[in-house]
Amino acid sequence: MPLVGLREFVVRLIASTPTSTRWMALGFLLPLIALVSACAGQPQTAGSDTPPGLFPVPPVTEQGQLTFDFYPVVFWIAVGVFILVEGLLIWIVLRYRRQPSDTELPTQTHGHNVLEIIWTLIPAIIVTGLFVFTVNTLAQVERTSDSTVSPDLIVDVTGFQWQWTFEYPLQELSFTGAGTDGPVMALPINETVRIRLHAEDTDVIHSFYVPQFLYKKDVVPGRVNEFDVVVRDPGTYAGQCAEFCGLLHANMRFTVEAMTRADFDAWVTEQQQAEPTAAPPPPDATTVALTSVGIVEGFDPTEISIPADKPWVVELTNTDTAAPHDFSVRGGNPDGSDWQGDPDAQAGGSATYQPPPLPAGTYEFYCSLHPNMIGTLQVGQ
Amino acid sequence: MATTTLAPRATVYRQRSWVYEWLTTTDHKKIGALYITTAFLFFLLGGVFALLIRTELAVPGVQLIDPETYNQLFTIHGTTMIFLFVMPMMTGLANYIVPLQVGAADMAFPRINALSYWMVPLGGLLLFSGYAVGGAANAGWTGYAPLSAQGGSGLDLWLMSLVLLGFSSVLGAINFIATIFKMRAPGMTLMRMPLFVWNTLVTSVLLLFAVPVLTAGLMMLFIDRNYGGGFFDPALGGNPVLWQHVFWFFGHPEVYILILPAFGIVTEILPVFSRKPLFGYKAFVFATASIGALGFSVWAHHMFTTGAVFLPFFSFFTFLIAVPTGIKFFNWLATMWRGKLRFDTPMLFALGFISLFLIGGLDGAFLAVVPFDFHVQDTYWVVSHLHYVLVAGSVFGIFAGLYYWFPKMTGRMLDEGLGKFQWLLLFVGTNLAFFPQHLLGLDGMIRRIVDYADNPGWTALNFTSTVGAFLIGASVLPFMWNVFITLRHPRNAPDDPWDGNTLEWATTSPPPVYNFDALPPVRSERPLFDLKHGAVAAHGVALPAARGETHDETRADAPEEVLGEPVEGHRPQVEAGEVTPEVSEEAPDATPHEVRPKKEADE
Repeated sequence: MPLVGLREFVVRLIASTPTSTRWMALGFLLPLIALVSACAGQPQTAGSDTPPGLFPVPPVTEQGQLTFDFYPVVFWIAVGVFILVEGLLIWIVLRYRRQPSDTELPTQTHGHNVLEIIWTLIPAIIVTGLFVFTVNTLAQVERTSDSTVSPDLIVDVTGFQWQWTFEYPLQELSFTGAGTDGPVMALPINETVRIRLHAEDTDVIHSFYVPQFLYKKDVVPGRVNEFDVVVRDPGTYAGQCAEFCGLLHANMRFTVEAMTRADFDAWVTEQQQAEPTAAPPPPDATTVALTSVGIVEGFDPTEISIPADKPWVVELTNTDTAAPHDFSVRGGNPDGSDWQGDPDAQAGGSATYQPPPLPAGTYEFYCSLHPNMIGTLQVGQ
Repeated sequence: MATTTLAPRATVYRQRSWVYEWLTTTDHKKIGALYITTAFLFFLLGGVFALLIRTELAVPGVQLIDPETYNQLFTIHGTTMIFLFVMPMMTGLANYIVPLQVGAADMAFPRINALSYWMVPLGGLLLFSGYAVGGAANAGWTGYAPLSAQGGSGLDLWLMSLVLLGFSSVLGAINFIATIFKMRAPGMTLMRMPLFVWNTLVTSVLLLFAVPVLTAGLMMLFIDRNYGGGFFDPALGGNPVLWQHVFWFFGHPEVYILILPAFGIVTEILPVFSRKPLFGYKAFVFATASIGALGFSVWAHHMFTTGAVFLPFFSFFTFLIAVPTGIKFFNWLATMWRGKLRFDTPMLFALGFISLFLIGGLDGAFLAVVPFDFHVQDTYWVVSHLHYVLVAGSVFGIFAGLYYWFPKMTGRMLDEGLGKFQWLLLFVGTNLAFFPQHLLGLDGMIRRIVDYADNPGWTALNFTSTVGAFLIGASVLPFMWNVFITLRHPRNAPDDPWDGNTLEWATTSPPPVYNFDALPPVRSERPLFDLKHGAVAAHGVALPAARGETHDETRADAPEEVLGEPVEGHRPQVEAGEVTPEVSEEAPDATPHEVRPKKEADE
């Protein structure tokens, strides 16, 4: 009976194993068990949010699919090497441990040229093969430099501390994120989209990353990087800055919405018509002039005062050439939530805001893109 | 002409205080001990920072640490662990062991050696003094320009600290190279040097070529920050990618600077605990040298996503590094094959190193696949990879070395039970902490963020990782307790507790100030093995030798002729059974430091 034999073997193996080896086995097994149970306990959700596994997140672009298809080759080679080396190691540890009865030195082997040449050549052949595949895949993923490819849509992305601006130059649309809600990039599916990445000279390096594209590219000041992408599956995909860029790096998020061409055209039309038309301020409104100097320098002045329960207007002049800013008031909404100014004053530009009238008290105003830029708002008696 | 006769001064042996002694010492062993202790303190500090980071990341949301503090935490954690823990720790071990292994009385330049050491605590002080001037450096340990051109004076202190630590490393490297090339024992050709010495040599050469490049980059950044320079500022015609080139031209060899000494330690331990010679000594030497050389041609694989580097070149050379590393792995396995393995704590750590560093090597090869790197660059995959290299690699190697050489350094054996307990905690903790990060990286979780999205599965994996980090933290406690109780006990270590192969085991534990009374002849890379088992070495015949646990018992049991020719001047070792505290206390070779309390007692 093989089952009994196996059980006996295991029992014997454990009994004959020195304590130290048992420690080692325990050390191998515990993380494995913990890992398996951790994976098993993950909630399965519908949609594109597949839980993490040993394979990359399922790609939604043609380029990402190429990378995704190549991954298993590397993965299974690595698993093979892993099993070979760990298996040999465990075998050696079990088989060649020193017994109390061992009094003799083992045979003193100093080397074996043929063996050593073999295990030099085999890895060399494997990595050369992998390299050839890598270069092939890379050439397909990075076809931007190929001038024969003309994109169906161009999106200019500007990264700044700590948000994004997405511009559609031909459609004359521009969206800038605020706070932690980044802008939305709508893309038509099955069309070549060229994404051009810019950063102001005075800004820092960012990286445009959408996990489900299986792709990222750095946004480097003084340099325009670009890449082509063909989104295959419609859906909403989260993106984020991947290169550490300072205080609120973690908040530099955005969203990609992939849709059919018809939906995309409808979206473009809708956005073009939805140009914000601000209502003219009431004639008795108090006007406050404010300048945003920079991320580090903050606002000038840092304290402003207005009368209580009266309409008021803030004219924000943005002298910062590096980043857009806005004017927001903590607890500035009637329901006590933060009032966020919209739209942003672009770098070197200006914007006008009409927050709701406020009851008397002391408030904090800030820039929703750079919450470290703060000032005091005195609302008079 | 008046003549003055000076009364002969009475020779007064002035007892120096131990503080003065340690502050002014030029003894490579004491400097080594200083390095090791200092590095360990910084290890604790960096570890506490890591635990704070992992605590914040246990669940999504910002609970404990605000973003600015978080950015400083991971910057200082990385800088501390690399420049103030692993590098000084490896330098400390090499400082203590290399002169002993080559049979020298000290390092080539003892005073420069002391200078190199004292720059390390000063550099650490500079780095941490950032907290006293309104915030430490917050641009990551890689300090990417132009982000690092922003920020407060904490970053200037970070720059100056790295310049100082770099100088320390360069001086240390020159010292090691001189010691290894000029002060080897008679008969010790380059190809008879212990592998730890070889690895220290290659590491020193890497330091000598890489660190000045970093120093130049740091000075450029300092000029950019303080004197209106424009090296990295595109508004002034500079190029931010230049910083990455300069940094990684240092930074990638740096990876091998951190890991090669650990390779050396493991390569010392495996043959001793397998009772076999190293399998393929020459292959090890050439693999080490070629890893060092290739290390200089792969720097831009850290920059694949910048769009500014020639991808296939750096991909190919990155792949190529797998070849010499593979040679090492298979030769390590072949060294143990058909050996007679003992599983003392040093061996356990060495085996842990092999089994876990393998993961860090394999997931590193993934990063050579450029399209895949586009996906996981700057994600937790990279965090996982670098920690499998630095924790599973360097830290396991360091503890292997500490357990292996602790008897030599202190004359006392660390407790095996506590050592194995520590090993288990560290082994489990390392896997729990870092393996889940592979999965997070594949799923697109970015590194260096204080907060992450509440995606399915992310919380469980991050929480697992935090638990693992605390296990790693807990694993340090049995070690500290072990060292504490062991140092309170009387000396119990024989000169050669592990039946070692190399010269450091031919002197007493701890060695006298001058290291050796006499040296055994060096006719192979295992001079001490030849001395003890000469007949085996000469005739290739296995003779009855080891019966029990330690070498001393071997010598007591073995017939006279097995021991080989007695070497002139070589002091016979203490017989088994006589290794009592009393004998060790009276040994004439105790260092002055140890003798002193007795003198004071006499007064």
